[in-house]
Amino acid sequence: MNRRVFGMFAMAAGALLMPSPALAHHGRALIYDTNKETTVKATITEFVWSNPHVQIGIEAVDANGTRLHWLLEASSTGILAERGWSRRSLKAGETVTVTFHPGLRSAPTGDLIKVVFADGRGLQAGILR
Amino acid sequence: MRVRNQFLIALAGLLSVVTFLSGCSSRPAVPAAPQHPDISGVWLGGGKGSWSTTRAKPGTEPDIPYTAWSLERMKGQRPGSGSDSDFENTTDPALKYADPLGFPRQYQHPLKFKIVQTDDYIYQLWEWNKVWRQIPLNKPHSDDPDISWYGESVGKWEGDTLVVDSVGFKDSTWLDGVGHPHSEELHVIERIRRVDPGALRIDFTFEDPVAYTHPWISQHTFKLVPGGKMTEVVTTMSDELHYRERFLQQKPAVPIRR
Repeated sequence: MNRRVFGMFAMAAGALLMPSPALAHHGRALIYDTNKETTVKATITEFVWSNPHVQIGIEAVDANGTRLHWLLEASSTGILAERGWSRRSLKAGETVTVTFHPGLRSAPTGDLIKVVFADGRGLQAGILR
Repeated sequence: MRVRNQFLIALAGLLSVVTFLSGCSSRPAVPAAPQHPDISGVWLGGGKGSWSTTRAKPGTEPDIPYTAWSLERMKGQRPGSGSDSDFENTTDPALKYADPLGFPRQYQHPLKFKIVQTDDYIYQLWEWNKVWRQIPLNKPHSDDPDISWYGESVGKWEGDTLVVDSVGFKDSTWLDGVGHPHSEELHVIERIRRVDPGALRIDFTFEDPVAYTHPWISQHTFKLVPGGKMTEVVTTMSDELHYRERFLQQKPAVPIRR
C-alpha cells in the first residue's frame, strides 16, 4: 500500500472514530465553548449514570491555580455504553485526567470529551458514526 | 396366525404412512426459502435534525412546500439544537414537556433501533424511550384510525421494497428536530429497502394538505450495527428538569477553600 493510499485510509478511519455531538437533545454550542478544550487532573466527586445525560462531578485546579468544582455532562447512557462505559466506570474519590469543552459565561460546567485513567486506559464520550 | 401377522404388517405400514404425512404437513424437511428480503437487525438511528435535503435555514428550504399555515408556525419554533436554536427557551415539545418524539421524528434519534420481521408483521423497537411500532402486512387501515403519537401503519412488499403507509398522527409533535409542523392529516409513506448487507435505505414521502402544498420527499440510509445490544434509555420529565436545574442554572465557579 503506498503512502498516499495509506494516508487516505487513515483519514477515513479517523473520521469514523471521531466523536460527533449528540444531536438528539441540545446543541452543544449553546452551552459550551466547543472551540476550546480544557484538560485537568481531577478527583471524581460524583458519577450519575442517568439520562438525558450522564453527569460527572469533578474537583480540580484550573489554569490560574484555583481549586474548583465542575459539573460535566456526557452523552446518554446508551451512547456511552456503545463506547465501553458502564454505571461503574467512575468512582467518587478516583483520580483521572479529563478533557472537556468548558461552559460559556464562566459557568463551572463542561461537555466531556474523554477520561484517561492513571493506568493509561481511556474512555471517549462522543458518538461513534 | 398368518392372518394376524398380515394384519399387524398392514397396520404398521399404515402407521408409517400416517406418521410420514403428518410430519410433512407440520415439519418440512427443508426450510422454505425466505419469501421477502431480510430487513431485520439492529440499525443506527439517523442522528440528523431536519428532513430537508438542503442546508438552507429552516423556513426557507427550497425542497419544502410550506403552506401559509406551516410557515407561520415555523416562525415560532425554537428548536433545542441546530442553527438558530435556543435550548433554554425551546418550544420543542420533546424537550419542553418530555413528550414522545413521535413519528417519523423517532427515526432521527442517534440511538439504535431494531427491526423484527415475521410473515405477518414488521416490528420496530427503538432504544430511545423504549418506543415500538408494529406494522401489519397486507391489511387495510382501520375505517377511522385513532390519532396517536406514532400513528397507524400498514405495510406490503413490492418486490424487494417494504412499503409502509402511516396515518393518524397527533399534531403536537414535530416532523423533525428543527420543528417542521404537521397536522392530523399527515400521511407518511416509507419505502424501505436493504441496499447492501450493512445498509437500509428509507425513502420518505410526506403528504399533509394543511401544512404542505404538495407531497415532498426525504431519505436516509441507516447503518447496520452487527451484534448491536439494545439498552434502555428512558428520559422522563423529572430527568429533564433535573438536568436543566443542574446545567442551565449554574452560577460562576466559586473557589474551594480548605
